[in-house]
Amino acid sequence: MKPSHGIFARTLIAAGTLLAALHAQAETLKIGIAGPVTGPVAQYGDMQKIGAMMAIDRINAAGGVNGISLEGIIYDDACDPKQAVAVANRIVNDEIRHVIGHLCSSSTEPASDIYEEEGVMMITAASTSPSITEKGYELIFRTIGLDSLQGKLAADHIINRVKPRNLAVIHDKQQYGEGLATTVRDLLAKAGIETVMFEGVTPGDKDFSALIAKLKRNNVDFVYYGGYHPELGLILRQSREKGFDVPFMGPEGVVNADLAAIAGKAMEGVLATAPKSFEQNPENAALVAAFKARDEDPSGPFVFTAYAAVQVLTDAIKATGETDPYTLADQLRANRFDTTIGEIGFDDRGDLTESTFIVYQLHADGSKTPISE
Amino acid sequence: MSETSLYVLQQLINGLTIGSTYALIAIGYTMVYGIIGMINFAHGEVYMIGSYTTFIAIIGLLTLGVSSLPIVLLLALITAIVIASTYGYAIERVAYRPLRGGPRLIPLITAIGMSIFLQNYIRLAQGSRDMAMPALVTGGIQFGDPAVFEVSISWMQMIIWCVTLVSMTALALFISRSRLGRACRACAQDLKMTNLLGIDTNRIIALTFIIGAALAAVAGVLLSLYYGTINPYIGFMAGLKAFTAAVLGGIGSIPGAMLGGLILGVTEALTAAFFPSEYKDVVAFGLLVLILLFRPTGLLGKPEVEKV
Amino acid sequence: MQRALFPALFAAGVTFLLTCLVIGVKLEQVGSELTVTGADPATWGWIATAVVIVFLVQLFQSPLGTLRRRLPAIEAHGLLPGHRLREQLRPWLIALVIVGLCVWPFMVSRGAVDLATLTLIYVMLGLGLNIVVGFAGLLDLGYVAFYAVGAYTYALLSEYFGLSFWVCLPLAGLLAATFGCILGFPVLRLRGDYLAIVTLGFGEIIRILLNNWTNVTGGPNGIGGIDKPTLFGLEFSRRASDGGETFHQYFGIEYVSSHKVIFLYLVAVLLVLLTLYVINRVQRMPIGRAWEALREDEIACRSLGLNPTVIKLSAFTMGAAFAGFAGCFFAARQGFISPESFTFIESAIILAIVVLGGMGSQLGIIMAAIAMTILPELAREFQEYRMLMFGGVMVLMMLWRPQGLLPMKRPHLELKNP
Repeated sequence: MKPSHGIFARTLIAAGTLLAALHAQAETLKIGIAGPVTGPVAQYGDMQKIGAMMAIDRINAAGGVNGISLEGIIYDDACDPKQAVAVANRIVNDEIRHVIGHLCSSSTEPASDIYEEEGVMMITAASTSPSITEKGYELIFRTIGLDSLQGKLAADHIINRVKPRNLAVIHDKQQYGEGLATTVRDLLAKAGIETVMFEGVTPGDKDFSALIAKLKRNNVDFVYYGGYHPELGLILRQSREKGFDVPFMGPEGVVNADLAAIAGKAMEGVLATAPKSFEQNPENAALVAAFKARDEDPSGPFVFTAYAAVQVLTDAIKATGETDPYTLADQLRANRFDTTIGEIGFDDRGDLTESTFIVYQLHADGSKTPISE
Repeated sequence: MSETSLYVLQQLINGLTIGSTYALIAIGYTMVYGIIGMINFAHGEVYMIGSYTTFIAIIGLLTLGVSSLPIVLLLALITAIVIASTYGYAIERVAYRPLRGGPRLIPLITAIGMSIFLQNYIRLAQGSRDMAMPALVTGGIQFGDPAVFEVSISWMQMIIWCVTLVSMTALALFISRSRLGRACRACAQDLKMTNLLGIDTNRIIALTFIIGAALAAVAGVLLSLYYGTINPYIGFMAGLKAFTAAVLGGIGSIPGAMLGGLILGVTEALTAAFFPSEYKDVVAFGLLVLILLFRPTGLLGKPEVEKV
Repeated sequence: MQRALFPALFAAGVTFLLTCLVIGVKLEQVGSELTVTGADPATWGWIATAVVIVFLVQLFQSPLGTLRRRLPAIEAHGLLPGHRLREQLRPWLIALVIVGLCVWPFMVSRGAVDLATLTLIYVMLGLGLNIVVGFAGLLDLGYVAFYAVGAYTYALLSEYFGLSFWVCLPLAGLLAATFGCILGFPVLRLRGDYLAIVTLGFGEIIRILLNNWTNVTGGPNGIGGIDKPTLFGLEFSRRASDGGETFHQYFGIEYVSSHKVIFLYLVAVLLVLLTLYVINRVQRMPIGRAWEALREDEIACRSLGLNPTVIKLSAFTMGAAFAGFAGCFFAARQGFISPESFTFIESAIILAIVVLGGMGSQLGIIMAAIAMTILPELAREFQEYRMLMFGGVMVLMMLWRPQGLLPMKRPHLELKNP
């Protein structure tokens, strides 16, 4: 009977080792990264993904958080609100308690309801719509400035530096663009500058000749555009073609190398509010090199905000020694964090306490120079 | 001239330009409908492919060092027409011919499927970002008192009018004078009878798809030069507008498609001129509904006689 | 073989033209410059393979065709038991399916239940559109407009007047039906293809209006914070809202987050069963018979004294009402709606469900709806190629089985040859 005893013992030991191994695996913390992997805005989802994954890999390489290693799990919502709800449910289902995402505000909004309800912490690195945090959520944070802050910056610049006589505000009828345009118009109205034209264009449209003729007719001398680069590029290009030569200003959504490609020379001198370029900050040089080494592009607007989102999360875990979202939420609100996007803190709503935007002047070769306030 | 009339003139010029290109694309819908009575939903994607081919050809030729602009444009036009026509032919051969004679809904679904397929095929092959090309034809003429309102017409707009006019005239002559054109008209009247008379109707149907695709390619070249940007999603809206134009003018009627395109373009421009431009599409579709209510077969469409 | 050579060469040439420029050459935006580069050799290898395959297939088309004809055709109905047996089994089968539908969510994960709920919304939409397209033969490309009307009815009534889901559900159906009636009345005089474009235009108009009417609908911001349905006033949330009571408090059980999802799912099941029941009843009524008669032959119908406008209008209205129900439920499931959920592609997907399932066949439509929502989830590995496959499958399905997965079978008598 002896040998069989031996086998039994050995089986036991093997099972024990296996259990131990399983236990060790349970020491990983899963972080959901939710955003578009497919669909027309997949390129922005990619920025968020490479930023968050880089942060996770670097933290793991440095020994993890309190001995726990992180694991990023990618979920695809295709920036479709319907799929975002499905993704949120799947994340709750997979017992993930920390999410970086979502990307599009229209996806973040329905998803954040579910996260709040189910006790999942969500930090978005890209959704800028003010209405997301207006409901007073406990577990929803963001590491990117709000549209309203950006709008205020633009309005201040127009009031103090531009002083237009006939101002037009154009937007693309989307959440982002229209929200910004409305903010700018209202702030200017308060300062006594009336908007002579406030109008939407259809996203994806290519012909703006009718709009430009109208701008010309109204003797507009300054245009604020709320929206993204494809439409603004065409408006600029067609304006210059028609001899309509006034300064334009846009939000961070237009600051993109593609704008230079579409608008060409017409883009010289366009003003834009944009986050400080984190990749040009000398303190981030090592990080930029790490992205370059992986053959990834660190210049997208959401790369560093996503990186910072993972940073604040892990810093809070380190400080509290817990992973419970409610404890972490208190920690996030009570402290300030040193991240790749600078030192940041969160207010009661979960928004950043400081604006990371400044005004830039764009040039035809795709470069930009900051205009100091 | 007063300020308002100059402004309206400017908007008419803008509207006619965009309307001309609607008309070019609308021909493809109307010819196919006239002969086999189906809506070729994938036609907008043929225009999109024509635009991509134009971009590839122009940039390719410039990279190869061909510097003469007319030669570049001519070669790009030929390339776009050849490739787009091949697509038109292949779509018909693969997706529609096997279904001919079946219920009418079936080819329509195939067409929607084909449209989604082609859109994503280009997206995967060329990426989903907007591609932009510097303006090759710049400048134009301006008239009117700058203090009142200055009307501008760019050379590109004039090129669009001329090319559209030439293509339309050529098509009209082809349809009314040539043997193949006569065969086309015969097919439109009675497909079965034409077949019995010894005309290869399959070949004629393929020909209509090719002609439609070629004209869509012409529109692709013109609009690529005019706007200078493309992405894989431009086909859908362009196709929808052109289809609206075709129905407006009376689907199946070639002069109707031209008229419908111009009316649609002008309506859009005038709406954008006097109302917020976000209502442009609402007015365009509203106009369509109105016209169909009073003339259920479109402006120039013949009332269909039901035969039992 | 000799005769096949020329067409095969031609087909190979066409394939080469289709692929050479569009796939073989790549446009690339480098900084602000646009460049073209030839694709890598592997891509050209694929192009060459495609050309060769097309050439060979065309060359051996006739032998292949004979081979294919020898294969037995798939006949789904042949797999089912005989007619009489089926009639006997039917009530039992239905009961079994209903019990199964109600029990399985308690055994699977929350994500799966949520996906099933989404599928049921599409089932409802498919069944509703089936009345218009499958029964009455009217091609409606703007069905999503009624879906949007239903969704916004609930969202707005709950936002401005605080009405509950159960009050809004019939209202949403009613309002969508009214819209259907108002739109249908002038439009239904038009013949098939004109009808298609007008409904398409109408769908776009509704979406653009919702997007532009910012004061009421919130424009592109949409409407958020829409309440979930309650069970006789009991809420399914962790903490009750003011004056409310939650499900787990009332029954004194532990809060389980998946209860909410399961409840939503059960509401969807209820709605789908209701839809099926109503449609099955109506289908057997004179009006249902009239729909099908009208689809088959309008002139014959008119000669028999049926009023085509009224018949078409009833189909249109009824289809719209079900879209309204579905929309109302969608708003409740989503908690947030914005116009971007109601684009043309949504209409196209619903239409694809109806056609893939087999127009008029309800079982087929249910299966198609399941396939359409589950397959993309399963195909997430091929995320990039998902829409490409979606389009391709739509084309191939129509070529392979134009009558749909499970074509509709009507009760009929056949004269057997002696």
